[in-house]
Amino acid sequence: MNNPTLWSLRLGYSAKQAQTIEKIGLKKFLDESFSSKFDSKVPDFLKDSPKTFAEFKEIRKMYKDNPDQKKEMQKEEIQTFLEMKTWWIDKMREAEFPLREKMTCFWHNHYVSTFQKVKVNYWIFQHNQILRENAFGNYKTLTKKIVQSNAMVRYLDNVDNKKGKLNENLSRELLELFTLGIGNYTEEDIKNGAKGLAGLGLGEDNAIYRKIFEDNDNFVYLGKKGNFKIDEMIDIIFEQPNIPYLITRKILKWFIYDNPREELVHYYGDYFKKMNFEIKPLLTKIFTEEYAKNNAGSKIKNPLEYALQLMNELNIENPNEKLIARFLKDQGMDLFNQPNVKGWDGGNSWLTSQVFLQRNNIADLLCNGKNLTRAKKINNDNSMMSDDSMTRQNPNQQLKVKLDWNKEGDNKEIIAELKNRLLFQTDNADQQDFEKILKYDFDSKTEGSDNAVLRLFNFMVKTPEFQLI
Amino acid sequence: MDRRKFLTLTGTFTGGSLLLPDFLYSFGSQKNLIVGEQCIVFVQLNGGNDGLNTFIPFEDALYYDVRPKISLSKTEVLNSAKGMAFHPALKGFASMQQSGDLSVIQNVGYPNPVRSHFRSQEIWQTAPTHQEYLSDGWLGRYLDLQCKEHQPTAGINIDSIDNLALKGEEPNSITVKDPDRFKTKSKAENDGQLSDNPQLDFVRKVANSVVEGSDDIQKALAKSAPSDVIYPKTGLAKNLEWISKLIKGNLNSKVYYTSLGGFDTHDNQLAIHKNKLTELNDAVFSFYEDLKKSQQLQNVTIVVFSEFGRRVKDNGRGTDHGTAAPMFVIGGNNRGKIIGNNPNLSDLDNGDLKHEIDFRSVYASILKNKLAFDSSKIGIQNKALEGLF
Repeated sequence: MNNPTLWSLRLGYSAKQAQTIEKIGLKKFLDESFSSKFDSKVPDFLKDSPKTFAEFKEIRKMYKDNPDQKKEMQKEEIQTFLEMKTWWIDKMREAEFPLREKMTCFWHNHYVSTFQKVKVNYWIFQHNQILRENAFGNYKTLTKKIVQSNAMVRYLDNVDNKKGKLNENLSRELLELFTLGIGNYTEEDIKNGAKGLAGLGLGEDNAIYRKIFEDNDNFVYLGKKGNFKIDEMIDIIFEQPNIPYLITRKILKWFIYDNPREELVHYYGDYFKKMNFEIKPLLTKIFTEEYAKNNAGSKIKNPLEYALQLMNELNIENPNEKLIARFLKDQGMDLFNQPNVKGWDGGNSWLTSQVFLQRNNIADLLCNGKNLTRAKKINNDNSMMSDDSMTRQNPNQQLKVKLDWNKEGDNKEIIAELKNRLLFQTDNADQQDFEKILKYDFDSKTEGSDNAVLRLFNFMVKTPEFQLI
Repeated sequence: MDRRKFLTLTGTFTGGSLLLPDFLYSFGSQKNLIVGEQCIVFVQLNGGNDGLNTFIPFEDALYYDVRPKISLSKTEVLNSAKGMAFHPALKGFASMQQSGDLSVIQNVGYPNPVRSHFRSQEIWQTAPTHQEYLSDGWLGRYLDLQCKEHQPTAGINIDSIDNLALKGEEPNSITVKDPDRFKTKSKAENDGQLSDNPQLDFVRKVANSVVEGSDDIQKALAKSAPSDVIYPKTGLAKNLEWISKLIKGNLNSKVYYTSLGGFDTHDNQLAIHKNKLTELNDAVFSFYEDLKKSQQLQNVTIVVFSEFGRRVKDNGRGTDHGTAAPMFVIGGNNRGKIIGNNPNLSDLDNGDLKHEIDFRSVYASILKNKLAFDSSKIGIQNKALEGLF
């Protein structure tokens, strides 16, 4: 695999950007990615979803009076939630410079806030949009903004954090998961931090303090004494010596290494601090320096990277994104719905035997032009089919798959071309297997040659090497 | 223990017909009965096996004329019948034929033969009507219709790559790369090849620990009685020994597929071919004896074939790609005959043998007689070959 391909996969979801990286160089590619435009309008599917605080109050009242309507509304919101997943998957697939969406997803898994708990689609959308806007912004600023989002104060129960009846959840995760990491604060800091956060609850557009629930006593926070509120608390956190490392380690893990070396974490982390937690210079430094190293195959693909690459390679247009969302869920990467506040662990935990088997199965299905699910065969004479199921998108519908490959090439050239796009490394035994599938007397000019190259592709994407970038 | 064995054993232990009603006894010993556990084992010889030096027309003077350097002398070949003889390495084959368990089908091929390994294997594996390009294999199509639901172990392929013959709409077959790793689960987990990349090692371990249907395979292996035949230490023998365990453990797969490479003998043919045929003979004969001793031979049909034969005239010390060649069918209560005429060395097509029996009619016969399946359902139009079963 050549470097531009590897980095197209690392900085996006497919080999789609490899040519651009090769043409304009990585540095320019990053600049373009940083300045890439993004969609800031509220998507149509949220049109009828409640948004303002007043609307919520009204709905809550209506729920009380009319339980049937409540069920109906809740069903609709679940549909809307599914739409939101496909809305995002679409952005990841279509973006000219997908790094922003990849970074948004990184933050999404750092400042976790799930629909299941928050239950308000619009807040989840707002939360996601903050991450998108600030994807390449400033770590400190982003932390302030996200902790003061309606989604976050609800997700981490700060709506229940009131003077005299403190709830430490947000205070704890702010230190343990969002910034410093375990070992860099005391239990006392968490207890005191909860005082500073008391009264920070839901507001019109973002979280706000409510005077009556605030706790205005002085407290000690990470060695400083005062009556701190959220912004000042975060300022103090960002003065701590170990602040840059947790996030730097996570960035290295998200993009390059499942197990980054600690000296690397400190090297880039110290630079991050020097740059006042500006994300662009950090990413630029990491990506340009790591690009020059021989580090292919250091990370197991997450389910998104796996699925979107396959679909891109097979040139599947308009895939059923609801099925992609479901596949991600089966693979343990349910969007907007991490199992807990720690988020997806990533690394080795992406791959269990079950998950690996499912990956191989969908590789077979896609190469056969099938959708991502193995629905039961539908017999033509089966009268069980209702009118309703006819109008919905049939999961058994045949997909058009088309692999790009050099029709002028001989077997070795075609093998090399595919290897370069798909596998970070191969050995002699692999090569022998490939040449068993495309033999030396393979004729690329015959009509059936597409099938044969597709079989080679299918075989390659089931090798362990394909799981790594 | 399967039902047939149960009946035979009861018969023996009780002194035969005394306690057992006649009709049951005859059921147990009846020879031509198709029962549920029939399966087919394919051994594909990759590279194009030289049919003329495998099953040899040693009484035809032309044979010695066209192959001055690589013919096998009358004194060394193993006489079969009708003026044909086996390659000296195929002692087991000769012996199986003497026991009536091996049929030879002569001059098998197809019209407009293709001499590309790649395409000819594709043709054998997909069995198209007019050499159209099909994306599914003939056995895959059969399994699609045969399996009501997805059944991962209906077909078992032992190879490092997937087999086109078994590819269907549904994944009803699995590819097992190395039977050794089924020895014990815990061993497999420690067997990950160590590279200098811990992430790659991790994925390899996961990949090695999962084969869909591996629970069924484990169960069959555990149930299988140990074999008292000692197999040679070759790759093919290992694969066949493993297949025999699965059969004896009642895995109930319909189709097993494995292959042996190295038959592309353009040069130094005598030595290479002898080695390869020795490996084939010893492995298949051990498998045969094992099945016979465990009374499974009537249920298992072994089919040995190659994508094409080789040029009639030698090219010096070897042979180039050719066309028709013999196919061998062993076990499964076949009639043990030599089917078809001897190769006609004087009526050639561009220096190659003309085929007389279409491989698809052999497939049709196997499907019809062994698996009770109408081959036209998977688009094989050829009439089933007569006289094989």
